[in-house]
Order: sequence, then structure tokens, then C-alpha cells
Amino acid sequence: MHGTATPLPTLARHAAGRPEAGPSRADARRADVVLRLTEVHKTYRLGTHIVPALRGVDLQLQAGEMLALTGPSGSGKSTILNLAGLIDAPDSGQIVLRERPVHALDAIEATHLRRDAIGFVFQSFNLVPVMTVAENVDYPLFLAGVPTSERRRRVNEMLEAVGLHEHAEHRPDALSGGQRQRVAIARALVKRPALVIADEPTASLDSHTAEQVLDLMREQGHAHGAAFLIATHDARLLDRCDRAIALLDGQIQESP
Amino acid sequence: MNLQWLKFAWLNALRNRRRSAVTITIAALGTAGILLAGGFALYTYEGLAQAAARTTGHLIIGKPDQFNKDEDTPLQHGLDDVAALRARLLADSQVRQVLPRVEFSGLVSNGDKSTVMMAAGIDPDAEFAVKGPFLTLKEGKLLVTGTQGQVMLGEGLARSMKAQPGSSLTLLASTTEGALNALDVTVAGTFSTGIPEVDKRLIYTDVVTAQRLLVTQRVSSLGVFLDRMEATDPAQARLQAALPGLAVQTWLDQAVFYRSVKELYNRIFGALGLIIGVIVVFVVANAMAMAVIERTREIGTLRAVGTLPAQLVRSFSLEGLMLGGMGAVLGALFALAVSVTLLLMPVEMPPPPGRSTGYPLQISIDPALYGSTLLAMLALSMVAAALVARRTVNKPIVDALAHV
Repeated sequence: MHGTATPLPTLARHAAGRPEAGPSRADARRADVVLRLTEVHKTYRLGTHIVPALRGVDLQLQAGEMLALTGPSGSGKSTILNLAGLIDAPDSGQIVLRERPVHALDAIEATHLRRDAIGFVFQSFNLVPVMTVAENVDYPLFLAGVPTSERRRRVNEMLEAVGLHEHAEHRPDALSGGQRQRVAIARALVKRPALVIADEPTASLDSHTAEQVLDLMREQGHAHGAAFLIATHDARLLDRCDRAIALLDGQIQESP
Repeated sequence: MNLQWLKFAWLNALRNRRRSAVTITIAALGTAGILLAGGFALYTYEGLAQAAARTTGHLIIGKPDQFNKDEDTPLQHGLDDVAALRARLLADSQVRQVLPRVEFSGLVSNGDKSTVMMAAGIDPDAEFAVKGPFLTLKEGKLLVTGTQGQVMLGEGLARSMKAQPGSSLTLLASTTEGALNALDVTVAGTFSTGIPEVDKRLIYTDVVTAQRLLVTQRVSSLGVFLDRMEATDPAQARLQAALPGLAVQTWLDQAVFYRSVKELYNRIFGALGLIIGVIVVFVVANAMAMAVIERTREIGTLRAVGTLPAQLVRSFSLEGLMLGGMGAVLGALFALAVSVTLLLMPVEMPPPPGRSTGYPLQISIDPALYGSTLLAMLALSMVAAALVARRTVNKPIVDALAHV
């Protein structure tokens, strides 16, 4: 991490090259690492101004881990999510997803990787309104070319898991906010991704529903071995995450 | 193409039903407009082609100079030994009839008044048998083969000559030797060709009477009538090879009016089709542009979850195809219904300029026209939708997701 004396989080320190206990343990840990950001910089252009969004961020995320990114607006949370989700590219630095460098992929390669390995949960659900609940959950499997019978089975399983099996043929606009977010979680997890990117997943939900959704994410994340990278302002969410990183002005501040 | 993309495109097409209905309606009206205008043009071409071939014969045989040069004296470039040539032509299996024609001009007089005439000597029985009712008999009766010294007058000429069936007139013309000859004839009947200017000059008589007036055994040309229009080109090639000293022209070579009308209509209806096509493209593009703008955030989501830009462009193309396709099919059905209705309940159009009779309004139902129009509409709709969607689909995902 550049330009700050703030201590690195545990996993980030590993990424920064601190000595490990031994080769076998280091290999095992490396094998568990789903995402690693090293010295990542990102700037945006606003008119004639260059605005730094990330300034040398290092972080590491392990399989099954739930990592919360906190910080005020403009601190760089969403930028990290965008870079980790391969929907944006860094100016410099390295991003490694499942031991594969992904910071310089072309658009098609990045799309294929997102399709196969990354799930997304958005603040406002972002479900396709003309598709039924089942069709929304099925869509990533359809894109991935999974055979129809297998798709049907996995969609049913996923809808059972998120408690929406009875709503399979409903359209999203017939569901409550919490139910829609559960559909979005099912859509993100149905393809069994290595990484789930969640941007303020509870911001549009009341506190009771938010807790239910968080429990569901945690439960399903563990069940599927998916790592969650979550940007949030929600203090309730921090309690349910394995770890949290605070960001300020594009730099990691602390590990609560 | 996976059916799921079709279903997705269909569901998207139904999102804004009012907008889709307007798009489909305009595409339908455009398609119907093209098909009705094109069908009318085709019917006109067909009618003019049939009329031209009926007037001259599918093939016209004469000496080459007959078609290329002016005559110094009547029938200077006429055909000799017509009977043998006619018999030879009739031996061809596709030749239905061979009609001799003696074309000449001169004066016609009733004793008190003389006026210019354009005359044709024909074989009446064969002519009327082959051509059918190509003239409208106004008074009297038709000419009959074997009855010489009789004429039929255009109604304008009959009026000018104060002639009625049974009236006596005198025809005056230059002979093939350049001398002036006169022949008394009797009016058998009067007719109308539907063109008043022609009816003021035209006289029909039989070949023998015409040859007696011109003092010759020649005819101007032979009109060859085939069993069908499509046989024209092969028959021309065959007969031209068999008659090396003669020129064999097709009806199209002599159909100046047909060619002019076709050229004019092709340009008019071509421009009309182009305008309609552009309108349809704009309407579909506009509908798709609005849909794309409304769905920008959704496009970002779909891209984020792993949809390729090409897949989204294809999906929007399918949506455009459905809108344009439904419009095109509805338009085609409407045009078909109008065409069939006009066939069952004919509507008479007023006489065109220079003519004295109207004509039935008919619209040809041409499979090639329908097929090509439908395909063009589908292709235009797809391309319009794809072009509109391409930019947004390739927009950075982050920007698309932030779209409000």
C-alpha cells in the first residue's frame, strides 16, 4: 500500500510478501486465495481533472471468506468492486483471480471469466423485469451453456435454498424488496462462482429483511465456497462478515 | 439460434406495448404500401406486355431494313413469298398462328372530304381469333376473311367521314411503284382502340384489299403468335437461326410505350419503396433507441453477469426483427386482402390521359415481390435495431450500471 502508515490487514500483509511459516503452508494458503489485488491504482477523469480513486491498494480474499469494504462515499469501495468484478481495469497494479492475472484481460476474456467465476449482487437488485424469478436465476447458467436438465435442477435447488421456490414463475415486480434481493443472490450463486461482488446489498432493505438477506448470503456463501466482497455502509453487515477493511481517499485504513 | 434468445426478444418487444404497436403499424402500412404499389406496377407491366404482344405478335419477322430504315416507296422492304414462309413458321410446335400485316398510309375520301389515314391490312379471321377482342366494335360487324373491299374505321375517322356501316369510301395510296392508286371500299363497321387520336386515323382492311391498293404481293411483316409469353426468347433464337436472311424481333423490341411506362414506373415506385424503407428503418430505429436507452442499466447488468456484447446486439436485432417482421406480415396480409377484394369486386379506374376508356384497378399478387419485400423489411428492421443497440451494448459496464 502506498502513501500510508496504516497497518495492512492480515491477508493484505500476506499479499505484500511477508514470510510464511513454510513452503507447504504457503502453498495451501495460496491455493485458497480467490482474489489478490497488489499495488492497484485507478484514476478517473472528471472534465479536465484527474481524480485518484485508488492509490496502491493491496488486498487478498480467501475462498469462503466474507470481506466488507467500508468507508465514506468516494473512498474507493465501488472502484475496488468494479476492478475485482472485472467490469473495469486498473491503471496499474496486479489483480489475480484464482491464480490467474486478470488486470489486463480484453473485454471478451473478462466477460467469459465473469460469466464463469464471478457473481454480482446489486443494491437495487437489477433483475430483468420481463423474466420470471426462475428465468432470472437460470440466466447465468444459460449463458454458460449448462444443459437444460442440469439448469432446471440447479435453479430449483437454488430457489429452495433462498426460500423462493413457490415464486419461481412470478415476475420480479410481484416480489418484495427482500425477495428480489434473494433472487439476486440466487442468480449470483447458482453458477457456483469463486467470487461474489455485492455492492450495498442491504441498502434498499429494512433492517429485518437486511438481516435475513445477510444471513442468507453468509449461509449460501459457505455452502458454495464462494468468497464475498461487499461494499457497505451498513454496520449490521460488518458483524456478519469475517473481516472488514476501511477505505479513505482510495487507500486502506485499518482492519477493524 | 437458441429459442431462449427468441423468447427474451419477444418478451422485450412486449414491454412497451403501445410503442411496439405503433412501430408494427407503421411497418405494416409501409409494407402494404410497397406491395400494393408494386403489385399495381406489375399488373400494369403485365397488361401492357400482353397488349404489346397481342398487337404485334410475340415475334415479328421482316427484312432487316424493315426495322432499321425508312421506306422510299410502300413495302420497299416487305416480305415476298409469304405463304411459304408462313407455312414454315407454322411447322414450329410452339407457333400458334402467323399473321401477315400490310401497313400503309394514304388518304380516305367520302367524295366530299379527304383525310389522312393509317391503315393495316390483316387476315381478319385469324387476327380476331388469335387476338380476341382487341378492338371495341362500335357499329356494324367485324371484317371476314375472303370478303374483299371492306374496311373497318376508327370511330373518330368514321365520324369525320360521316361514314356508317354500308357507306362507300375511296382509299388512295401510293403503290409500290410510286404511282397513286385508288380503291373503292365499303364500311363493314366502326371500332375504338381506346385511344381517340388513333381512332381518328386508323383503318383495318384485309390483306388482299391492301395488296390490291398497293399493287403488290408483299406484306410488311409477319406477326408470330406463340403458345405462351415465356417461349418468346427461345423461339426468337430458334427462328433467327432458321431464317438467316430475315430479322426476328420480339414484341419487346417494338414495345416503345411498354418500355417507357416500365422505366417511368420503376423509378416512381422504386423511389416510393426507398422512402417507405427509410421510414420503416427510422421508426424501428427510433423504437429500439428508446428501448435501449430505457434498458441501459439492464444492459450493464447483463454484461456484468457475463453476456457478450454480440449476444446483446443479436437480442436487440431479434427484437427489431420481431417488430419489423410482425409489421411486414400484417402489411402483406392487408395487401393480399386488398388485392383479392379488387379481384372479386373490380373497381374501374378513369381513362388515363389520351385514352377514351378506363381500366380495372387490379393488384398483382406476385410471390417474388412479397418474398423480397418481406425479406427486405426483416433485414432493415434487424440492421436498424443492431446499429442502434451497438453503441450502448459496447458502453463501459460501469457507465451502463450508473445510468439513471
